Amino acid sequence: MSVKFSSSLPTDREVVLGILNNSVDALNKLYVAYFPMVLQFILNNNGDEDDAKDVYQEAIIVLYNKIKSGSFELSSKLKTYIYSVSRRIWLKKLAQHSKKSSNIADFEDVLAVEEDLEQHEHKDMQFDKMKVALESLGEPCKTIIEDFYINNQSMQDICEKFGYTNADNAKTQKYKCLQRLKKLFFQS
Amino acid sequence: MRQDLELEAIIEDYLNGKLTPEERAAFEQLRSNDQMVDHKVVAHKVFLESVNQYANIMKLKEQMDVAHAQIDVASLTEELKPHPSKLVRLWRNNRSAVAVAASFILLSLIALNSYNESRKQEGNFAAMSKDVAQIKTTTNTLIRDIRSRKSNKTEAKPANFGGTGFAISGNGYILTNYHVIRSADSIYVQNNTGSYKVKSIYTDPVNDIAILKINDNSFDHLPSLPYTIKKGNSGVGEPVFTLGFPKDDIVLGDGYVSSKNGINGDTLAYQVAIPVNPGNSGGPLLDNNGNIVGIINGKENKTDGATFAVKSKYIMEALNAIPQDSLSKRVGYGKKSLLKGLKRDKQVEKIQDYVFMIKVYNNN
Repeated sequence: MSVKFSSSLPTDREVVLGILNNSVDALNKLYVAYFPMVLQFILNNNGDEDDAKDVYQEAIIVLYNKIKSGSFELSSKLKTYIYSVSRRIWLKKLAQHSKKSSNIADFEDVLAVEEDLEQHEHKDMQFDKMKVALESLGEPCKTIIEDFYINNQSMQDICEKFGYTNADNAKTQKYKCLQRLKKLFFQS
Repeated sequence: MRQDLELEAIIEDYLNGKLTPEERAAFEQLRSNDQMVDHKVVAHKVFLESVNQYANIMKLKEQMDVAHAQIDVASLTEELKPHPSKLVRLWRNNRSAVAVAASFILLSLIALNSYNESRKQEGNFAAMSKDVAQIKTTTNTLIRDIRSRKSNKTEAKPANFGGTGFAISGNGYILTNYHVIRSADSIYVQNNTGSYKVKSIYTDPVNDIAILKINDNSFDHLPSLPYTIKKGNSGVGEPVFTLGFPKDDIVLGDGYVSSKNGINGDTLAYQVAIPVNPGNSGGPLLDNNGNIVGIINGKENKTDGATFAVKSKYIMEALNAIPQDSLSKRVGYGKKSLLKGLKRDKQVEKIQDYVFMIKVYNNN
């Protein structure tokens, strides 16, 4: 049983270059191309479409980080890599929920991706720590930090948005927020 | 406090490469002199990387959600979900639970069954004895009724019954079925060399075995017996053959041991898949190596191809029951037969002089 993908498949090279150049289009194509494969795998192994979305997005993040870190070599097909990572992630989730993970129905070849996933887990922990720290930061700090560090807004924009009388005040406020956030982040 | 904030700002600018070369040099000087500052730089660097990573992933997730919204997940799910049926999926998901339930049911069935079994024993036994009575009617012995064929006999005094026997010694001891000679007034045996009068010297009705002795001056001693009697039992599937006289010429029957017990678990006999006819009774049943594994003694009426043969070990019991010094050149037991490795036609050629037609006369 193999899946016919309706959309045209991007070449692996296209995807890697696209991600390195932050191309939204390349990511889109990649995402649409291989989701059905992972969906099929999850549906046939005790999961539903929401599980498939979570697992697939996590696998794409692993791939993204690997490409961004420059350690990705096109030694295998992207498809195989994504499948293997998704599979590994799902098996782990199954084990965590103490569901049976024997008799896995496979649809593609499988690569050894344990090492990549270990790195990913470390990064994922940092991510979660940051998320928790930001959430417990409270307003207006959370928005200021997010606007500055995540949405890359200038201090001028932030100053106007929050009605600070001058950019220096805004800056001071930002650093106060930052200190608190760092404290939260490093303590957790 | 104020100083801390300024230091933060400088560190951030430093890490982002926003300091002028002079400021940068001055800051690096400060950093190498002050452990506290150095520590703060490192911590801030880690923090900034984490924030950047967080920002990147958040952005990526956002983009992926946009991409995800383009996919018709519902119809894909419909298409890709495990096919056979929901039932199968249910089974897959709950396999262990189902297995436990099934084994429980199985166990309770077994328990129930064994309970019933122990209560049934008595009834079975009664039924068994009835079956034994039935065997008498269903296993018809294979004695040939020659009377019915009186017309084509030229002999003045035709035999009433016929069967088959085979020599167990060179000096004229012949083994056959008890039922063949049971009601005999006089018995003759006949082979290629002639017809001889015999007398019954041993009968074993339980094992359906009789031993006859040729009492005839015209009888020359037979050369050494080519066959031996097999020690031990034959396995199911072992090819066997028999020679007998369902008609006036010797007839070869070919088959295999089909069950290690006879009718209704009769341990005295084998069940053999071999075509036999009235007249085959008392014939030797031999394996491919020329060892006698049994004596044909009956067949079942209702089942085709179910012939029964008395096991060879009862032949030995019978042999041991007669005075041993009276047997010269007696049949070997558990020895190598002279027929081993020969083709069937050669085997038959060598055996046929040792197989006799038994003719039974009954004055009544």
